[in-house]
Amino acid sequence: MNYFAGIDIGSTAIKAAVVDQDGKLIGTRITPTGSMFHKNAMEAFETLLAQHGIAREAVKFVTATGYGRKLFKEADDSISEITANAIGACEAGRAFGGVRTIINIGGQDSKAIQIDVNGNVCNFAMNDKCAAGTGRFLDVAARNLEIDLEELGEYHFGGSGAPLTINSTCAVFAESEIIGLLAKGHGKQEIVAGIHYSIARRTVRLAKRVGIEDRVYFDGGPALNKGLVAALQDELGRELVIPEQPQTTTAFGAAVLARSQYLAE
Amino acid sequence: MNNTTSDATAPAYNRSRQAREAETLLDRIQDDFPDNPQAMRYFYDLFRNVYCQGEPVKHEGTLVGTTCIHAPEELIYAFGATPVRLCNGSYHYDQIGADFMPAKSCPLVKATLGSLHAKAAVPNTAALELIVNPTTCDQKTKASAMIEAMGYKVHDLELPPAKESEEARLYWQRSVRRLALRLRELTGRKLTRSNLKTAMARTARAQTAFRTLHQLRKSAPALFLGKDAFLVTNAYFFDDLDRWTAAVEQLNTELQLRQMEGFQAAQKRAPRILFTGSPPIFPNLKLPLLIEEAGGVVVADETCSANRMLYDMTAVDEWLLNDMVDGLADRYLKPCTCPIFTRNDDRQRRLLQLAADFNVDGVVYQAFAGCQVYEMEYRSIADVLAAQGIPMLYVETDYSPDDMGQLSTRIEAFLESIKTRKRNKQ
Repeated sequence: MNYFAGIDIGSTAIKAAVVDQDGKLIGTRITPTGSMFHKNAMEAFETLLAQHGIAREAVKFVTATGYGRKLFKEADDSISEITANAIGACEAGRAFGGVRTIINIGGQDSKAIQIDVNGNVCNFAMNDKCAAGTGRFLDVAARNLEIDLEELGEYHFGGSGAPLTINSTCAVFAESEIIGLLAKGHGKQEIVAGIHYSIARRTVRLAKRVGIEDRVYFDGGPALNKGLVAALQDELGRELVIPEQPQTTTAFGAAVLARSQYLAE
Repeated sequence: MNNTTSDATAPAYNRSRQAREAETLLDRIQDDFPDNPQAMRYFYDLFRNVYCQGEPVKHEGTLVGTTCIHAPEELIYAFGATPVRLCNGSYHYDQIGADFMPAKSCPLVKATLGSLHAKAAVPNTAALELIVNPTTCDQKTKASAMIEAMGYKVHDLELPPAKESEEARLYWQRSVRRLALRLRELTGRKLTRSNLKTAMARTARAQTAFRTLHQLRKSAPALFLGKDAFLVTNAYFFDDLDRWTAAVEQLNTELQLRQMEGFQAAQKRAPRILFTGSPPIFPNLKLPLLIEEAGGVVVADETCSANRMLYDMTAVDEWLLNDMVDGLADRYLKPCTCPIFTRNDDRQRRLLQLAADFNVDGVVYQAFAGCQVYEMEYRSIADVLAAQGIPMLYVETDYSPDDMGQLSTRIEAFLESIKTRKRNKQ
């Protein structure tokens, strides 16, 4: 049996995915990027193979993606995370009846991708210089509120009052805003909901630049946050399609591409 | 390298930040690409001499600075003076210029102000006697007084906001005549029919060389890369006119040979890109380089640092000097596709024409943050291109290297989407 792998080296986490020769997803693995991303990427890849009893030689093609894609020399090819994300979302999105818009929030960037009926990228937008409203923002906010990142979703729904207004999506300015709100005695729940709405508004603005069409697929680590999903759906006025493993869609896309690259050669 | 003639006040150009910026870029341009034409050597060396070693700008007679392509250079040459275009592309000077302009204004204007303010700036234009500043955008218009306050003599070349109407034409013709008077005063020379004719013949020869180079870029696969083409046109800003023309002619000969041999400077399927918007000016070749490092090739452009500056030629055959000057003025107004003008359908037409002629797969639109007119024309251009099925990537950026990582991802994704599109068509 031949296997194909995709490795997505992101700013926060390294994601690896393996598909078999029919393009079926065999398994995925996520590890923090850390400071030694190359070692960690190799480890993630090798552990994933070991978990599923796949020999390294059986993996015929590896495609790297994410911001570390050029530095991972073990890969046979690299692809931008926008294309990889689109391929992964299209494949995964079949189960939902096909997707046309992808919203991705990563550790340091956010993207909106429009796909045509054939599954090709026809337009996209991405934040440029500033990581406002990305995963890192949630990280900082959670730390300020002294709660776990994973708890943010629950807090979102736990409040009794309306979500508070957080004006800034800049992690630095929002930090002081959050501290100010805490000092005034506001509840953490309402603050968390406010944070989610603030990110959602910014993300919807980005998505509107490329045009929003159903179905809208939401992936990246923050898609695990149910509170953020609710806020985003509210701001969009549409239902979102959330995959089972939102963090590994892009790695899966790279693996799918690795397979088709190998077959084309 | 030891400079034996240096004294305590002489600037060590090769150790300055701007030299560093230029050198890093030139290394990238030369070393990262395998197939640079031999004739490009002249331009690489020229930039190293002027930007890294501080070699003074070569000039005959009075050195007259210009801050825009609207300053008619034939007129300056006709007075025995030499024009040098001061528009600057250095991030280093952009930061210095930020002292004069609001933070959100155009980096080109800020860098130009910064370079004029800086001591021992490159290109070394210490001999400047006058700066002709066409009043185009608000920022350039307001820069006049600031430049004057630095101790330079400035002539405001007043430009109308429209170009189609007869009123605009007459206004502009008078404006150009007034420039002629100012140049006469400055140089103490008289404008004659024969001087103007000679000047026009010299620029015409340069423009003919440029047009040949431009046509050679229609070749598919590409004979040479866009980063080199931008370097060639950027050299026109400050290089000696005849020396530049000879160097371009030599490059053309080499490229024609490449054409006959079937040489490929880019992959057969490399996406062919048309570059438009705010001008790439050395050392800010950030976007063209990112495109070509990602496997695309810039085959044509619609910018005022290259095509828009050199494509349209002056061919005046009037009998009287005054009519010749008017004809010259027309050439600088009518064909210009700068978004500064109200009603600018010409730019849309030209882009579509270039896209068709150069077999373009996609357009990259650069808008400098703060260059409002380009930002405002983005939608109309996007619509026109979309109607023709030509994909476009709009990039708002400036001279800072901060956004290189994000930009390279966006550009790669754009090129990948073009490749998929091409594959599907086949």
